[in-house]
Amino acid sequence: MQKRLSELEFSESGTVRDIFASRHELNCLGVRVRKHLTMITRQPIKGPVVVAVDDMEVAMGLETARCVIVEVDRP
Amino acid sequence: MAAHNHRYTILMMGNPNVGKSALFNRLTGANAVVSNYPGTTVDVTRGFLRKERLEYEIIDVPGAYSLEARDAAEEVAVRILGGHPDAVVMVVLDATRVERGLYLALEVMEHGNPLFVALNMIDAAREREVSVDVATLQEILGVPVVPTSAVRGEGMLDLVEAVHRAQPPDIAAIEARAFGEVKCPAGERPLSIAGTAGGVPE
Ligand SMILES: Nc1nc2c(ncn2[C@@H]2O[C@H](COP(=O)(O)OP(=O)(O)OP(=O)(O)O)[C@@H](O)[C@H]2O)c(=O)[nH]1
Ligand SMILES: [Mg+2]
Repeated sequence: MQKRLSELEFSESGTVRDIFASRHELNCLGVRVRKHLTMITRQPIKGPVVVAVDDMEVAMGLETARCVIVEVDRP
Repeated sequence: MAAHNHRYTILMMGNPNVGKSALFNRLTGANAVVSNYPGTTVDVTRGFLRKERLEYEIIDVPGAYSLEARDAAEEVAVRILGGHPDAVVMVVLDATRVERGLYLALEVMEHGNPLFVALNMIDAAREREVSVDVATLQEILGVPVVPTSAVRGEGMLDLVEAVHRAQPPDIAAIEARAFGEVKCPAGERPLSIAGTAGGVPE
């Protein structure tokens, strides 16, 4: 199942399939297509959305998180 | 005759929080001057290291994730790099998160300055059982890679020595080697850095 990163539930994880935001913006923080990530927190309204990638936390705005498509891991 | 017969300028560049300033302090000791970068509120620290009649001016460049600057510190990093075409660049990577730092490292490599890598926080990597294949990383990048620990003072002499072996990176060759022209143990991907498997740079 695919979801926007902004829709991932707390502690849900998945693999990045597509990035429709500035790739540059996320790539240099370690979020890229095929990376595996886990949702840590998601604040409503404008964010931030914080995910864990390779043991690092990466924070981004809700708008950016909406542009990231994730294949959700099966529970 | 001048007291020192050669002077190198070294730019220390890397992501925020990788230990650039800690390394800088180890290398320069007390001989440092902090100033605002002209027209900004961003601090830039410069210091000197003298060794065997050689003088090294070392600049602790503000941390950046990318050279497509998004804040004042990154802007200053870009301007310092652009303003020192002859400087040797020391790219500082955090050994516990090498892959993240390679994005900026490759952008800096595209500038063509002679360059080498300080693989800092090697003590933390050991402690967390993150093993970095230094030989393969060095082979792929084609520049010296020196494991260091700024907190323990490990690798400092090797860093100074690496200044003299710094190479202008060859991006096309790096790309070719990263995509498989490097010989590595059967079944292992090139650049096999524990804990960072998966994901292909765009
Ligand atoms: N374990 C370990 N910690 C280190 C090492 N080098 C630096 N640190 C720690 O990492 C933190 C960040 O170090 P700094 O030297 O401030 O990092 P920086 O790269 O200058 O950061 P910015 O100036 O924000 O870009 C500090 O808490 C240091 O004590 C190291 O080799 N090993
Ligand atoms: Mg610093």
